[in-house]
Amino acid sequence: MRFWRVIEPYIGFLLQGFALTIAACLLAIAGAVLLGALTASMRSSGNRLVRGAANAYGDVFRNVPFLVQLFFFFYGLPELGIYIGAFETGVIAMSIAGGAFVSDVILSGILTVDAGVIDAAKVSGLSRVKIFTRVVLPIALRVSVRPMGSVLINLVLTSSILSTITVNELTGAAKIVAATTFKPFEVYAVLLVLYASLTTLLSFAISAVHRRLNRFMTGG
Amino acid sequence: MIVAENVEKRFGDALVLKRVNLRVEPGEVVTILGASGSGKSTLIRCINGLEALTGGRITVDGHDVSTKAGLVAARRASATVFQLFNLYPHMTALGNITLAPIEVLKLPKAEAEARARALLDKVGLGAQADAYPQQLSGGQRQRVGICRALAMQPRYLLLDEVTSALDPEMTGDVLRILAELAADGTTMVFVTHEIEFARHISSRIVFLEQGELIVDLPTAAFFAEDGGLAVPRIRQFLSKMKKD
Ligand SMILES: Nc1ncnc2c1ncn2[C@@H]1O[C@H](COP(=O)(O)OP(=O)(O)OP(=O)(O)O)[C@@H](O)[C@H]1O
Ligand SMILES: [Mg+2]
Repeated sequence: MRFWRVIEPYIGFLLQGFALTIAACLLAIAGAVLLGALTASMRSSGNRLVRGAANAYGDVFRNVPFLVQLFFFFYGLPELGIYIGAFETGVIAMSIAGGAFVSDVILSGILTVDAGVIDAAKVSGLSRVKIFTRVVLPIALRVSVRPMGSVLINLVLTSSILSTITVNELTGAAKIVAATTFKPFEVYAVLLVLYASLTTLLSFAISAVHRRLNRFMTGG
Repeated sequence: MIVAENVEKRFGDALVLKRVNLRVEPGEVVTILGASGSGKSTLIRCINGLEALTGGRITVDGHDVSTKAGLVAARRASATVFQLFNLYPHMTALGNITLAPIEVLKLPKAEAEARARALLDKVGLGAQADAYPQQLSGGQRQRVGICRALAMQPRYLLLDEVTSALDPEMTGDVLRILAELAADGTTMVFVTHEIEFARHISSRIVFLEQGELIVDLPTAAFFAEDGGLAVPRIRQFLSKMKKD
């Protein structure tokens, strides 16, 4: 089979790239969810300054192309005297960009939390922080899992842009192989399958988390 | 003791509570009656600090609910049961009941759970400790709501129409539990439309009319021809209630 003959010598290299993609995505998903939850909590704060800062972050990073953000960090951080690898820079940029979108989703989850439930938590004497971490956020996350899924899948797709800052993740590896073999069609056919498997797996995982968290809750 | 002095509450231009005075001594069961929109829920929400007063003063055991420290202390002294239960949907019955005892009273988890189970047993829900609110009927949810309030060992129990969302059979279950609590000497401020039940368990009845507390009488006097019934508005209210 011609296809396999073209790909076979490079399959190890491509899978290495795929592993790097998976690592970058897992780290960035964790970063984006943490940052998104933190930002959403700030955006629902009573303090105008805190709210303003969080909104500004969200507005900036949702409204600038990811490629520009990525270059900004890649070339900007060394200017600030911060020297980290391209992979680390990529993960940080993805987390920050993803966090802006995740915060939107979690904030709308927070806004759906029944006011009466919050009243019950207040009169029981729980502190504001406890009300947020034990009642509001857990309910909001349950509502947000599904819409967060599409944000996270987008984040996975965005990871291919890391190839532009010398990270040889899947797309970066593919570019090299395509340039060496002059067989871009075969190479990108492999990528199609790998990316599709990764996002499909992620969407299954998200559905499973959603079902698990919402097993006894209606709505959401 | 809960003391409300000249309490005023405005929502924008609407004056919802007008110079309301009320005292609730330990051991009393005080029922608040009044037509829909007369301000009963608002008064309860002012006592537990969910609404800020726009005039007057409320103290719970001397703690002023309009100060930050006072509100913390006042909320430690009272607990509220809500009309629509307001259970935490992501927690089991046990989780609902133990959250505040663990986080606020700082009880060890095992002790909080043991107490919660004892309360659930008492209201006939011993087998439902691990059920989520969605898996329970309305009456069961409200019984969990009562356990959640009692688990804080409050000196005052505030109840706002806790049976209005329940069908008659479930209402009976919940009212039986409240009657037991009253017999045990639990202090309660009770908003209800169950007139007969109020008559049965209350030591005093107060009547709100468009934000004004127009009558405050011992239960027997409230239902006496020369007492509450001599007030035309109350006579009218009670006869309308009977018809419903
Ligand atoms: N958050 C609010 N904003 C504006 N107006 C309010 C608010 N809460 C209550 N009100 C108004 O205050 C008045 C008293 O309401 P409240 O809920 O205390 O009445 P209630 O006696 O409990 O009535 P019901 O028997 O129907 O429960 C009503 O006219 C209501 O519309
Ligand atoms: Mg009401």
